[in-house]
Amino acid sequence: MGDAAVEVVDLRRTFKVPERETGLRASVRSLFHREYRQVHAVDGITFEIGAGEVVGFLGPNGAGKTTTLKMLAGLLHPTGGQVRVLGETPHRRRPDYLSRISLVMGNRNQLQWDTPAADSFELNRAVYRIPPAEFRSTRDELVDLLDLGALITKPVRNLSLGERMKVELAGALLHRPQMLFLDEPTLGLDITMQKRIREFIGEHNRRHGSSVLLTSHYMADVEALCRRVIVIDHGRILFDGDLAALGGRLAAYKELGVTLADGAADLSGYGEVRSRDGDRVTLRVPKETTPQVTARLLAEHTVLDLTVEDPPVEDIIELLLAAGHKAP
Amino acid sequence: MRALRLIALHLRVVAMYEMQYRMNFFLQLFQSALATGTGLVVLALVYAQVDELRGWSRPELLVVLGVFTIIGGVLESVVKPNLVRFMEEVADGRLDFVLAKPVDAQLLISIRAVRFWQAVDVLVGAVVLGVGASRLTPRPGALAVLGFAAGLLFAVVILYSFLLILATSAFWFVRVDSFVETFDGVFQAGRWPIGIYPGWLRTGLTVVVPVGFAVTVPAELLTDRSGWVTLAAEAALAAALAGLARLCWRLGLRRYGGASA
Repeated sequence: MGDAAVEVVDLRRTFKVPERETGLRASVRSLFHREYRQVHAVDGITFEIGAGEVVGFLGPNGAGKTTTLKMLAGLLHPTGGQVRVLGETPHRRRPDYLSRISLVMGNRNQLQWDTPAADSFELNRAVYRIPPAEFRSTRDELVDLLDLGALITKPVRNLSLGERMKVELAGALLHRPQMLFLDEPTLGLDITMQKRIREFIGEHNRRHGSSVLLTSHYMADVEALCRRVIVIDHGRILFDGDLAALGGRLAAYKELGVTLADGAADLSGYGEVRSRDGDRVTLRVPKETTPQVTARLLAEHTVLDLTVEDPPVEDIIELLLAAGHKAP
Repeated sequence: MRALRLIALHLRVVAMYEMQYRMNFFLQLFQSALATGTGLVVLALVYAQVDELRGWSRPELLVVLGVFTIIGGVLESVVKPNLVRFMEEVADGRLDFVLAKPVDAQLLISIRAVRFWQAVDVLVGAVVLGVGASRLTPRPGALAVLGFAAGLLFAVVILYSFLLILATSAFWFVRVDSFVETFDGVFQAGRWPIGIYPGWLRTGLTVVVPVGFAVTVPAELLTDRSGWVTLAAEAALAAALAGLARLCWRLGLRRYGGASA
């Protein structure tokens, strides 16, 4: 256990959520008397991450990914269970601990909004007490790896979403954290930028050997970066193991979205029809036959639009639940 | 030392940003001049009728107005913008990033947002204070000036701590918008020495909302109305409130759940 970066045993977090019926009467009543409901956001999870390992945390919205991440980063106090990261208890938030980790959230911005990122980098230098020479070399390396160039001299608010994420990542890595928590780092980015960010995270891990825990609800993020994946749903771990083991069974499918000129055509001969929305049909097709099926579709029908995607993470969870798979 | 360095760096960033908008400087100067001008006119009207107000002469009340304007400037430019931003961040969860930094989080939330040009109030207040002080008879001695400086510092600590205590209520109630406006209303009472108010109000402005106390004590020290005992009492109040604020901050952090899942 000694050299594990993260050790989590039976970790729990419960939130007390006010609950009321809709309508004005209920609102007025709730001014005086509130009813609360206990929500088990994280409900007894146990896992370990080795030093230098990149682990994907996969699950639908509200599965408990972010809550777990926040407990690991020391932002939330756990309701129960044990958690140790880099040998420390995160929620004590010792400066020593905090200067060895980093947290990046895809949908949030932590750089100063109105000033160029370079200024925020300077602030980080002071906050993390990075020696000047080390700061310069790390910054230059990140600027180079992420192809930032002139981006760091423009006010952050003038950057595009993707550019902002690149700059965010650079800011979060200046102090060379040993443990990196990435919460949905590719959220809302276009495909090219998603790829760029993934490549960077992979490259950075190879160069510096920091451990990475990455949450996502894109299978592609996890496939590109992680050998090991933890699937979480309703605060519980459904699967923890080799991505290949999961992939063999579950990423064995592709999802085809087809829009035909003849919307009424029966496509059940091509694959499992998952849904039908107007003229748009979603098919699940075994991965290895995808090229043939696509070719047949194009040959036999007038296709207006065709997409090939990984099945959504919800399907993976559905399949895991159906298989009755439990964490080892 | 580290804290000072961080403060200086944050100020530098804010300054670089705000310098781009120098029009704001002139607007602020105009606004400050207008507010202070109004105060001066009211003082002139009062002293056209009487020679003194409950024992306070005209130059002495100029000192009070100066102190009031200086402290108001500090609150408006540094304390309130920071606390408002902090409360917003509790509500939307961005406080996460502050907590993830290896620096005392209370320090960090207190120095990030500065309304740079609002600090013009401090300069205008200093001028009014200077004019008032130069007309005092007898001239305040070096000790009185020293006591005054300390009193001013404690006053800022008192009001910062007081407002921080109110702001930490955001940890429990999430949306607490109105207290800043309510406080503004009460703060206006600090324009006048608390001695001129009836007893119950005087107690309120000393104990409940220590505004009157914070503004009046430095002025009293400079005009030789109070001595070391009052200064010691002010220091004690500053220390007590700062301690209480720290306690509220820690308890609040335990409560903090962050927004969203």
